[in-house]
Amino acid sequence: MGSNRRFMIGLVGVAAVVTWLVWTGVSDTMTYFLTPSEYVERLDADPSFRQVGVRIGAVLVPESYEQGAGELEHHFLVHDADDPSVTFPVRYVGVLPDTFNDAPDMVTETVIEGRFDEDGVFDATVLLTKCGSRYEADPEQLRAMNEREHPAG
Amino acid sequence: MNILGELALWISLPIAVWGTALGFIGGRRQRGDLVLSAERTVYVTFGLIALASLGVIDTFLNDRFEYWYVANYSSSTLPTFYKVAGLWAGQRGSLLFWLLLLCLFSVLAVWSNRRKNREFMPYVIGTLMVLQTFFIVVLLFAAVNPFERLGFTPVDGAGLNPQLQNYWMTIHPPTLYLGFTAFTIPFAFAMAALFSGRLDSRWILLTRKWILLSWFFLANGIIFGMRWAYEELGWGGYWFWDPVENASLLPWLTATAFLHSVQIQESRGMLKVWNMGLVVATFVLTIFATFLTRSGLIESVHTFAENTTIAFIFLGFMSLVIAVAAVMILYRLPLLKSANQIESFISRESAFLFNNLILVATTFAVMWGTLLPLLSEGFLGQEISVGPAFFNRVNVPFGIAILFLMGVGPVIAWRRASKRNLQKNFLVPTGVGLTAAAVLWMAGARVGLSVMTFGIAAFVLWVIGVEFWKGTRARARIEGEGLLPAFYHLVMRNRRRWGGYIVHVAIVILFTAFAAAPWYTEIRQTLEPGESATIESPLGGTYTLTYEGLSTNFNDVEDNLAWQAVALLSASKDGVPLPPMSAEKRGYIRPAGSTSTEVAIRATPVEDLYVTLADVNTRLVQAGVNDPTQQTATFTFMVKPLVSWIWASAFVLTIGALIGMWPGGQGIPSARSTGAEARTPSPAPTGD
Repeated sequence: MGSNRRFMIGLVGVAAVVTWLVWTGVSDTMTYFLTPSEYVERLDADPSFRQVGVRIGAVLVPESYEQGAGELEHHFLVHDADDPSVTFPVRYVGVLPDTFNDAPDMVTETVIEGRFDEDGVFDATVLLTKCGSRYEADPEQLRAMNEREHPAG
Repeated sequence: MNILGELALWISLPIAVWGTALGFIGGRRQRGDLVLSAERTVYVTFGLIALASLGVIDTFLNDRFEYWYVANYSSSTLPTFYKVAGLWAGQRGSLLFWLLLLCLFSVLAVWSNRRKNREFMPYVIGTLMVLQTFFIVVLLFAAVNPFERLGFTPVDGAGLNPQLQNYWMTIHPPTLYLGFTAFTIPFAFAMAALFSGRLDSRWILLTRKWILLSWFFLANGIIFGMRWAYEELGWGGYWFWDPVENASLLPWLTATAFLHSVQIQESRGMLKVWNMGLVVATFVLTIFATFLTRSGLIESVHTFAENTTIAFIFLGFMSLVIAVAAVMILYRLPLLKSANQIESFISRESAFLFNNLILVATTFAVMWGTLLPLLSEGFLGQEISVGPAFFNRVNVPFGIAILFLMGVGPVIAWRRASKRNLQKNFLVPTGVGLTAAAVLWMAGARVGLSVMTFGIAAFVLWVIGVEFWKGTRARARIEGEGLLPAFYHLVMRNRRRWGGYIVHVAIVILFTAFAAAPWYTEIRQTLEPGESATIESPLGGTYTLTYEGLSTNFNDVEDNLAWQAVALLSASKDGVPLPPMSAEKRGYIRPAGSTSTEVAIRATPVEDLYVTLADVNTRLVQAGVNDPTQQTATFTFMVKPLVSWIWASAFVLTIGALIGMWPGGQGIPSARSTGAEARTPSPAPTGD
């Protein structure tokens, strides 16, 4: 029976280590993952939330991209997926992902990480754009694209 | 062809339902005639689903843009090769492709067992047909029908995303799907064992090679995906702990656990409930992975309520599978009693058990991190997410522990390891591991976890090497053979064991390559033509790269290119010239506005030199201006030690897995396993 007890101790030990690793891992590396609307709401309620780094899931505003003055500096707008009126400017310094596409009719979902600077520009340190196989233009967008590119057809 | 395909999909539904009923009723009433009919439905659905798949490919090849799926994933300019691969480019086709592979494996399982294992087959067929029915229902009724029409005919389609126009991307999903679907066969046999009550080790013996086959495809599928990310995404990494990547890893982890724990059941008659649980868990995770990879549920849960029907159908189905399996396991609990008990903490059983615990813990941690946004939204009302930092922190210790057990498991004694056994087998390898770590540390490799990994890797390789050497030498002496034939016969006599060791070597190579990550070096520099950048290799030596100029090209309709900018670089290492490199950025005509970065990689066995064109003045390139004074370009230069080892490990893993799977009678283990069960007097039942 002695080995059985030792087993239980080993098992509990492994479980404890796993729990500890996961728990501390989450609390040390977690970030809030918000929509622009949720973020703006949080900021209105508590202005100090500006200092907290967050992760935002938003949609790139088509044709909003502008090259910045600095090296690899990029500017663009994002809006809330459900409420396009909630929108803010983003500055990102780094290499743009290939899936970053601000062409009209494109729905490019973006995830940005960072915080607002004094001028109300979201300073993104991370920019992820959603892999193309997962965005699927709705039929109306497809029709619009076709009408624009093939006026006669 | 397309109409025929759509029709075939509809016809397959009643046949799959009929097959389900025939299988279960035939099994319950022991009616051979019904079972025979059930078998025929398996062949019929395969034919019908093959027709449906051909129908989808036909819509792609003929540019039938009135179909929603083709309009969204193809365009008239898409190369034919990718049109055929369109079958698995998006969610709709992927689900059909999944079903096709499921039907294919069902046919193989039914055909190979047409004259044997008849006690299992009715329920195997019944279970497989339930799965087929599920996928057919999803395709027809969950708004993901690949034959859905738009209601108007666009002049051209939206085009296939350029990231998917890559060789690895065409073989990565099918390989992964082969792995997912191959696992349905072991699952079906496990369920058949539960339904029929034949819960001795028979079902395990029957499914062993299927599980290995599935595991092998999953492993290769995952590594192909890494290769795609490395070559196509242009940030120099191969794994980002993305939900989609994680989802494919989960069933592989539990399948790995099963491959090990099943050996305890075979030789000691223990862990029966646990093993059953692992099979069910792995199967559910393959469904989960299929669902997650193609639904985008995690990233877009609160931005897009895309297709919630399919989410509920999948979640409902997974819950149903878990519920049925749990009820059946409880019902059959008396037949799943453990024949033995673990006798010692220091034994092979114990090593295997810890291997299982760690793999399951890893599965749990990865799943937790992946689902955290969903869970926190549900329970806390706000989304919290974790990134690579979390996964690395949690999983690196697990990985190191698994690596260590890989050296312990093969040579520690069953039941109870004596001091002599431990000394004999571990003294020298431990010394080798410690020496390797010490030497590397003194040579300047000062990253604790990595050096630990290298040391343990040396320990494991030594243990495995000694095993091979001892076995070969003993055989050479006894049989009077040369060393080479002795080695060959040794491996072929117990393919699973030696094949398994070769797979372990592959994992050691893989983990060693991962442990080199802290030495990846990266610089970013903006250069004018004629200017040079230098980057030092962490392994010694300096690369010099000179930007020679930009060659541009635009509006190449044939290749679907709106514009193309190729930066030419001449390269040298410590003054010795290397072949020139060209890093490229492209813009595609379709999908409009999409771009891709084509990286330049100079791969050697020790390190990769990886160059990307991070930024060029695309406005000028697009305008077709090719002014030599306007060719400023920003490059990212990276040196990445041991990346080639990752791809090499896939090769070694394939050899090992093929040896393990090679067809041919291996009656010995089964005889031994039942023998062992009978031999060992069973103490009081414990129920695992």
